[in-house]
Amino acid sequence: MKKLHTFRWPLAALLSLAASILFLLLSLKQGLGNSFLKNGDWRTSKSTGSSEAGAIDKTVIAIGGLLASTREDSIYYILNSVAGEPLRLNCRYRIEGNDYDADWWSITAYGTDYFLIPNRDKRYSFNNENLTRGEDGRWIIQIGTQQEEGNWLPVGPSGSPTESQSSDYDFDLLLRLYTPGAAYLQQPESAPLPVVTLESCS
Amino acid sequence: MNGLRWTAAILLCGWLGQYPLAMLVPHLIMERLHHKVVERVGHNQLNLTLRTDETSRWVVRPSPDLLYASCMYDLEQGPVMISAPVPERYWSMQFYQMNTDNFAGIHNQREQRLRRGTLVEVTLLGPDADPAEYPGEVIQSPTTRGVMLLRASSIGDNSEAQAALQNSRCTAQAQTVPS
Repeated sequence: MKKLHTFRWPLAALLSLAASILFLLLSLKQGLGNSFLKNGDWRTSKSTGSSEAGAIDKTVIAIGGLLASTREDSIYYILNSVAGEPLRLNCRYRIEGNDYDADWWSITAYGTDYFLIPNRDKRYSFNNENLTRGEDGRWIIQIGTQQEEGNWLPVGPSGSPTESQSSDYDFDLLLRLYTPGAAYLQQPESAPLPVVTLESCS
Repeated sequence: MNGLRWTAAILLCGWLGQYPLAMLVPHLIMERLHHKVVERVGHNQLNLTLRTDETSRWVVRPSPDLLYASCMYDLEQGPVMISAPVPERYWSMQFYQMNTDNFAGIHNQREQRLRRGTLVEVTLLGPDADPAEYPGEVIQSPTTRGVMLLRASSIGDNSEAQAALQNSRCTAQAQTVPS
């Protein structure tokens, strides 16, 4: 008991540090949660890349989106769940959309290691120019592990062999809009975006 | 009672302590990036990434629709000169300080003066330099070290974008004040 009394200050400092790490991990686990804006299932932040971003947001971006630009250059929307259900490799998804007010835009699939997902076709993204579209200009992207006709965005296990998955989803989607128009700069939470739906799961 | 007070104090300190810790993490990640790239090409040199696939691992979430050139700058010995030809399609030059803030940027799609064929020449200064003493386009970095990143669209025929990045330069200048 006397020993504990002697070492109570160093012990309290160590426990405080451990608690700080724990609180930070919990905050990071929420990730793009609390302070980020929702637009359907997509999430974005007005302060990405900016000095106005809070400490937790900067850490989230540094870990999962290092060297992101401010939204004047590009705005990023991330999606890792559909209607509250995390994106899974045993499911097929469909993205439907049209054109968006930006110099150009793209949709890219990333593994849980935040890198491009290995696949035989080396197909990692679609952009506004390489999509096959209908006569009305609208397009559909199919996402899944099995090859499909048309705009198929393959997904699969992440490329990092030793990576232990800490997220509850198997992959995520990043929509980039470069030199975005006023709607994205002023009302990112209601600006038009592609719609992702779950087709089926095995 | 005393134990409860200690527990509450530790939890409070832990809660508050996550914020300085969170401020440290972006610095550590940027330090790692700096170290990786400097080991490969050195400070104040361009590192070209002209193809992006699943093996591209120098920074998270690379875009397969972009070509990249980065310069890990160090302004300790004086300014760095950056010159870059502007291609027709999307192109940008972004500056990041060591806490990951994107403190300055130039984009060819927003600025009419930055059209195809323009040569952008920027003098990048450290936090203690006086911008008034330097001619032309000057950008002042809030930190001595940081990252300059060129992005160029690789959609379609990307030969012009490739040539633009290959002909870009990031060069340390002698520490002299120009006349």
